[in-house]
Amino acid sequence: MAVGIEALQTLEAPPWLGAGGLTRCRQALGGKLVRETWKYSPLPKVTNALLAADEHQGPPVGALPPGVALHRFDELDVPPTLGIDLNRYPLAGIAAARAGAGWLIDVKRTPSHPLRIPAPALGVSAPLLVRVAASCRVDIEQETVQTTDNADFGAQILVLSLAADSEAHWAAAEFAPTADKWCLLQAHLQRNAALTLNHQGTVSNFLRQDVNIVLGGQGARLASVGAALVQDGGRLDQQLVIEHASGGTVSRIKQHNLAAGRSRCTFNGRIHIHAGASGADADLSNRNLALDPSAEVNTKPELEIYNDDVRCAHGATVGQLDAEALFYLQSRGLGPQQAQRLLSLGFLRDGLAGPYAERAAEAFAAHFTSA
Amino acid sequence: MSLLEVDGLYASVNGEPILKDLSLRVEAGEIHAIMGPNGSGKSTLANVLAGRPGYEVTAGQVSFNDTALVDVAPEARAQAGLFLAFQYPVEIPGVSNMEFLKAAWDSHLAAQGAQPESAVGFMKRARALATSLGLNPEFLKRGVNEGFSGGEKKRNEILQLLLLEPKLAVLDETDSGLDIDALQTVAAGVNRFRSADNGVLLITHYQRLLNHIVPDRVHVLNEGCIVASGDKHLAEKLEAEGYAWLSG
Ligand SMILES: Nc1ncnc2c1ncn2[C@@H]1O[C@H](COP(=O)(O)OP(=O)(O)OP(=O)(O)O)[C@@H](O)[C@H]1O
Ligand SMILES: [Mg+2]
Repeated sequence: MAVGIEALQTLEAPPWLGAGGLTRCRQALGGKLVRETWKYSPLPKVTNALLAADEHQGPPVGALPPGVALHRFDELDVPPTLGIDLNRYPLAGIAAARAGAGWLIDVKRTPSHPLRIPAPALGVSAPLLVRVAASCRVDIEQETVQTTDNADFGAQILVLSLAADSEAHWAAAEFAPTADKWCLLQAHLQRNAALTLNHQGTVSNFLRQDVNIVLGGQGARLASVGAALVQDGGRLDQQLVIEHASGGTVSRIKQHNLAAGRSRCTFNGRIHIHAGASGADADLSNRNLALDPSAEVNTKPELEIYNDDVRCAHGATVGQLDAEALFYLQSRGLGPQQAQRLLSLGFLRDGLAGPYAERAAEAFAAHFTSA
Repeated sequence: MSLLEVDGLYASVNGEPILKDLSLRVEAGEIHAIMGPNGSGKSTLANVLAGRPGYEVTAGQVSFNDTALVDVAPEARAQAGLFLAFQYPVEIPGVSNMEFLKAAWDSHLAAQGAQPESAVGFMKRARALATSLGLNPEFLKRGVNEGFSGGEKKRNEILQLLLLEPKLAVLDETDSGLDIDALQTVAAGVNRFRSADNGVLLITHYQRLLNHIVPDRVHVLNEGCIVASGDKHLAEKLEAEGYAWLSG
C-alpha cells in the first residue's frame, strides 16, 4: 500500500502500544479485516494525512469541575490501557504514536455540569481517555471546532471506560467543518454501566467514524441516537462494532442519515454477541434517504451471534420518502416540493437527541430552506 | 351549481376497476352519508376525490365547485377547499403537529393570495381548538400522529378540518374505533363545521354516528356503485337488516 512507509518506520511507539505494537499496526493496515471496513474510504490517503498532520500536545480541556482530574499518561505511575484492538484499528496506533502521550480525565465524583471538550478539526490529537468511577455519572459535550478555513485533516481518539454502575452521556456535533477527519470512539462498560451516545450534524467534508463499544459487564447498556445530513459532496463513513460480551447486555441504536446532492454515506453496523452473553438484547436501526439520484448510500447490517438465548433486531434501509406521508401532506395543501422538504427534515430530526439537538435541527432546516 | 358532482364515475386502483358507474351530487349545506360493506369502494371514492396517486379515473366526471377535478393536483384540490379525513391517518415522526398545521394553513392562505397568519395567533387558535376537541394542546408539539391512539388520530383529523375550513369534508370512517365520548366530540366537531355554505360526505359503518349528525341523504355503496339512496331511515334499515338484502 502506498502509505508513507518511511514515516511509519521512524515513528516511535507509545508505551501503551507495547512492544511490536507499531509493527502490528503496519501489518494490519494491509490486512483483510481493515481492507473490508475501508471499502468505501481511501485508507492510504487517510494514513498519509495522519502521518503528515500537525500534532496537538496541549491539554484537551481547560478548567475542570471538582472531583474530575486531568493527567498526562506519562505522568502516571502506571500508564492506562486503552483497550483498542490494533488489528482492527491500526490507525489508532499511528495516531497515538504521532501525537505522543495521551490524556486521562479521571471522573471520581459526579460533576455538577457537563464536561465540554472541544474537538479540534485539524491536527492529530493525543488520545483522550475518560475514566468514570463506579456509580458516577458524567456528561461530555464535544463539538468539532473549525480552527482555520484551510481544508486539512484531523484525527481524534476518545476512549470511555465506565466502571460498574456508572453512566456516561457523550454528545458530539459537527456543523459542516471543512477539514477531513478520522476518529475513533472506543468504550468499555462494566457491570450495569450505561452509555448514551448522540452524534449529529452536517457533513460536507470526509468524515470517517470508527466506533467500538464493548458491553463487557453483566447488564451493561448502550443507547445511541444520531442523525447526519451529508451535503455538498460530503463523505460520511460510519463503522460501528458493538460487542455484547456479557449476559443481559442491551444495545439500542438508531441512526438516520440523509445524502443530498452528490454526497455519499456509508453505515456499517456490526453486532457481535459473544458466546457467554445469554439474554443479550440488541436492536440496531439504520435508515438512509438518498435525496438525489447522484447521492450514494451504502449500508450493511452484520450479525455475529454465538449464543441462542438472545434477542436481536437489525434493520438497514435505503429509500425515498414515504409515499403515504407525501400524499397526506399534499392532501392538506402542501406542494410536492414543500412536502418533500418537510419529510426530509422530519426524517433527520427523528434522529436527534441530546444537547445539540436544537442546533442540529436549525442547521438541517437551513439546508432545506436554502435548497 | 352543486358543490360536488360525480357523474358516471369509473375508477381503478393500480389497474383494478373498483368504482363502476357511480353518480352522486352534494349541494352546499348538505350532509350525505355513504354506507356499504367492507371492500365496496367507499375509501376508493374518498381517495379518488382527494387525488391520491394510483387512483385513476377511467370514465365519467367529477367536478367540485363547477371545476373538473381530474388532473388537478391533490394540493390544489385541498387549497380549493376539499378535505379528506383519512381512514388511517399517517404518522410523521420528526414533523411536529403544529408546524404541519401551520404549513397547511399557510398553503391555503398563499393560494388565496393572502398574507400568512402570525405564528402566535395561529398557535393560539390551534391550541384552543385542540382543547375543544378533548386533545391536550401538548399533542401539537408531538410528531404528526406519532404514537397517537386511534381515537386521538381521529380527533386530530377533525382538528385539521376545523382549522382549514374547507368547503367539502370527506370523512372516511372518522367514527371507527372511537369510544362514546370521543364519538360525541367528533360529532360535535362536524356539526360545528356544518354550515349553509359547505357540505359533508360522511363515510361510516354505524348508524350511531348518524344519531349525532343527521344526514340529508344516505347512500349505500356496493361493488363500486350506489345501489340505494334515501333519507336517514335508510341507515336505520341497514342497522336492523344488514346488507344481505342487497344481493337478494
Ligand atoms: N392498492 C390497491 N390495489 C388493489 N386493490 C385495491 C387497492 N386498494 C383497494 N383495493 C381494493 O378495492 C376494493 C375497495 O376498497 P376500499 O378500501 O375502497 O373499500 P371500503 O369500502 O373503504 O372498505 P372498508 O369498509 O373495509 O374500509 C377492495 O376490494 C380493495 O381490496
Ligand atoms: Mg375504507
